[in-house]
Amino acid sequence: MTVHALHIFDRKGKTLFTKRYTSTKQQLLQDTEQLAEQRKLIFGMLFSLRELVGSLTPEGGSTVMQSVKTGAGTLHCYETISGLRIALYTNNNPIMNTIGARGGGDSSKTSFQAALKHMYSEIWVECVVRSPLYRPEDIQVDPLEGRDNNAGRFDIKSTNFEARLDAYLASMPWFR
Amino acid sequence: MGFLHLFIVNKSGGLILHRPLGPAAPRIGTNEWLRIGSTFHSLHAIAAEASPVKLPGNKNQSGADDGIEQIEGGGIILKCLQTRTGIKFVITAEPGTPDLDTVLREIYVLYSDCALKDPFYELEMPIRCELFTNSVDNLIERVESGGVKAR
Repeated sequence: MTVHALHIFDRKGKTLFTKRYTSTKQQLLQDTEQLAEQRKLIFGMLFSLRELVGSLTPEGGSTVMQSVKTGAGTLHCYETISGLRIALYTNNNPIMNTIGARGGGDSSKTSFQAALKHMYSEIWVECVVRSPLYRPEDIQVDPLEGRDNNAGRFDIKSTNFEARLDAYLASMPWFR
Repeated sequence: MGFLHLFIVNKSGGLILHRPLGPAAPRIGTNEWLRIGSTFHSLHAIAAEASPVKLPGNKNQSGADDGIEQIEGGGIILKCLQTRTGIKFVITAEPGTPDLDTVLREIYVLYSDCALKDPFYELEMPIRCELFTNSVDNLIERVESGGVKAR
């Protein structure tokens, strides 16, 4: 079971952070523009799907969307009240940790939600939001977006967000 | 646990059937249904496009185009079966409802038996066959009372 990619979007759809964990030949051929287009597609899809799920959910049910599964893989999403969205792509059939656990359905779902929530509250908030250099309007995403004047931009690489994120994901039983 | 809705989308994205399957299903107007049907049709394809890994030829195991198979939300689970001809059967239910895949396959079989073999039914047009809707209702009743065997 593998994690393929992780994306973090803000409320307006701008990518705040993105990372690929596996890459095939076809992806290496994609240039940065195509990848940016793909990310926009993902954000648009999450936005529209949330509305769709909201209108189909019965009264009294929570309208939060948790995962979208296609034949190729599963997209797990977590959205905060401030509109920050974390999207995690994995393949289908993740290995869950409890030995002999047969409850595939509910426990795997809640465990991904718990993991994404932890990624937001313990890693993103701690490393990025609380960084003294944090500027929410001016986050620079790698790769550079072609703007020459980089003065004043807040680079996520200046925090240890990525290192802590990688360490957290590596500790998960479903990460490769 | 209850079934909520069934809707069927044809290969151009138009809605050909929508039916509430249980008492818990929220009431949705016809215009809204049409909107939901076409939105789902596009998102189904976009999901396969946006994924970082793609299946070879973008076709899944049964030879149909890859796309959304399942959506899980807090209060709802939605499953979709896309056939090789491009028709999408979508069923929504409350979380914890068993046998959703089997029910979806059975509905596909009922569609081919009742709607397609009806000489007056035009392909891709809204389904107006009483036989089909009655069979679907009977199927849901059977499943809710006793479970259905996988075909």
